[in-house]
Amino acid sequence: MYPFASLPENLAAFCEALRREDGFRIGPGELHDAARALDVVDLANERAIRHALRPILAGTLDDVTVFDDAFTRFFFPGPAGVRQDQLPSTRREPGTDAEGRDSDADHARHARRSGADADDVSGRGSGPMIPIQSSEGLEEPTMFAASSYSPLDANASDAPELPRIEQAWCDAARLFVRRLHLGLSRRWRPASRGRRFDLRRTLRAGLQTGGEALSARWLRRPHHAPRIVLLVDGSRSMSAYTRTTLTIAVALASATMRVEVFTFSTRLQRVTADVRRAAAGELRRLDRLHHAWAGGTTIGACLRDFLRRFGERMVGRDTVVMIASDGLDVGVPDMLRDAMRELHRRSAAVVWLNPLLETEGYEPTAAGMKAARPHVTTFTNVSDQAGLVRLSRMVRLRA
Amino acid sequence: MIDAAAIHDRFRERGFIVDEAFATALQIMLALEKPLLIEGPAGVGKTESAKVLAEVLGTELIRLQCYEGLDAMAALYEWNYPRQMLHARLSEAEGSSLDEREAYMFSEKFLLKRPLLDAITRDRSPVLLVDEVDRADEAFEAFLLEVLAEWQVTIPELGTIRARHKPHVILTSNRTRELSDALRRRCLFVWIPYPSLAQEIEILHARVPGLSDRLAQQIAQIMQALRGLPLQKAPGVAESLDWAMALMSLHREHLDAPTLERTLGCVLKVHEDRGVMHAHHAALDPILGDVPANLESGGYSLDTDFGFGSVSAPRR
Repeated sequence: MYPFASLPENLAAFCEALRREDGFRIGPGELHDAARALDVVDLANERAIRHALRPILAGTLDDVTVFDDAFTRFFFPGPAGVRQDQLPSTRREPGTDAEGRDSDADHARHARRSGADADDVSGRGSGPMIPIQSSEGLEEPTMFAASSYSPLDANASDAPELPRIEQAWCDAARLFVRRLHLGLSRRWRPASRGRRFDLRRTLRAGLQTGGEALSARWLRRPHHAPRIVLLVDGSRSMSAYTRTTLTIAVALASATMRVEVFTFSTRLQRVTADVRRAAAGELRRLDRLHHAWAGGTTIGACLRDFLRRFGERMVGRDTVVMIASDGLDVGVPDMLRDAMRELHRRSAAVVWLNPLLETEGYEPTAAGMKAARPHVTTFTNVSDQAGLVRLSRMVRLRA
Repeated sequence: MIDAAAIHDRFRERGFIVDEAFATALQIMLALEKPLLIEGPAGVGKTESAKVLAEVLGTELIRLQCYEGLDAMAALYEWNYPRQMLHARLSEAEGSSLDEREAYMFSEKFLLKRPLLDAITRDRSPVLLVDEVDRADEAFEAFLLEVLAEWQVTIPELGTIRARHKPHVILTSNRTRELSDALRRRCLFVWIPYPSLAQEIEILHARVPGLSDRLAQQIAQIMQALRGLPLQKAPGVAESLDWAMALMSLHREHLDAPTLERTLGCVLKVHEDRGVMHAHHAALDPILGDVPANLESGGYSLDTDFGFGSVSAPRR
């Protein structure tokens, strides 16, 4: 039994539900397209409607994975196997608002989103819509479950605050980003002096001088700015240093859009959006970190998780991966080594910022650090603005 | 207007198996005249689907391969400057007026059409394939948005050219970087996953005629198993087809461990992945079936066996 009597109203309510509960971005344009699509397909065929609405309303792979569930929940509420006309009527009058489930909605969304991420992880063998039981799919939850009860794991209540940054840090970050370049881009840009003659512009400029091309125009290749991925270790042993790393993260986000920030300890969390907003001047706490703060660290597992879920999109030959960690790992060193090798293979450079380097006489002898060291291109520490600027010269990029 | 079932059948005639979701997406795309963004793992037939669509619609395929540094000039149009200059020099002696010469020199004759302009000036709607759009940089993406939204191109010397017929646009992406939300919003989106076992067998039969049922079954099963392993580069459908061709040319009726080992280069393209596969051989052995794994030590030297027929060795 559908909530409303007429088709357009049901469709609008469905879009509203997707927007509210699953965070889909659906505007009037999509709604209009959806209505047009329903004109085209056979309305008696439920599968056809699903397949027709999915390309319009779901814009990303994440959306696609939650779409089918949302569709079933909205149009076929109630237990499976019960005929629709035997269910109690949930029909509402048009105009009345849907019940206020907003408080739960956020939680439900996060839960489903993380479920979708898990699909993304294990879904390489099969379609995202088909839940499969691959060995990897089973492995992930047990790993997290084990770590949730770890004595090393701390309460999640002491959420770290993203620091407000001073202008000096911004300038340092901007300088760092500008100096860090991967040779020349493939694109040609107009420039006052360059390597290539720009016939088109020269002839156009010639119009001013009576058709004779008097002043030459040139093209050159601009410097190619790399993408940056910053992975911040949030374990307890790093607590004295986290303020600095988070400051670096916010400063980098203020200097460039091409930066992604993650935190990890026993699991990985993407905090790019929070960091960007902090860079825009908003005071923010990283309060959505569940186990990702102030516990023990399984660096290898987290890096592997990162590579699986985001590696394809975020790590390429133009990416500088920066890991801020003391390398005190409670996980398996082999896993860390493999993950580091893969990171090194796919990126332009791997920078490891280790605060312990400040300590007199420190040698990277801990098992984790020892395993990771061969795959790190720059092993250093940054404690102040000058250090960040200096880092740009220390990073050796494989262009 | 063709519906999803018709699309499925016509694609099938051309050896391309589409599932219901993809067929419906194509149908919606044709009905709504919106671009279709296809994402999916490498080698599932994203590019091929555009080619087949052009065949099915009986129209031309115009392909714009994206790469880093692709700019508007390479995608849209360029004046043929050398030709214009040559013409200017040669026609100096002619008696025609300046206006006539100018109009002639900035006519379509001297315009080099690049794919996007080409696509909107055809007499029939072509299929425009914007391949691997994630490889182009953000600046080009913004430019592409403008063209996809307006379907018109302004050339200062000629004026504004409007599309006579909107092309059917297919964009493909391998997710090497995030596409902007704006581009996603302009497009319909479909994700093509790896095919299921039954689909893959169907694809193998459609594309490799003469392939035995048993071999198709085995290839598809091994592919499914391999895609479940933590490989650096999981094999796609393209690899299955290559492999089937290779096995056909070697006259194999079925797969066994030595054959798998020798033709592995068709399937796994990264050296480390071989190690991963060998570590998980327990998953593959049952598929290789009734040929025992210890054949290697029990019968004959593998390197001298060309096609199993020439060697008299104990076999079951």
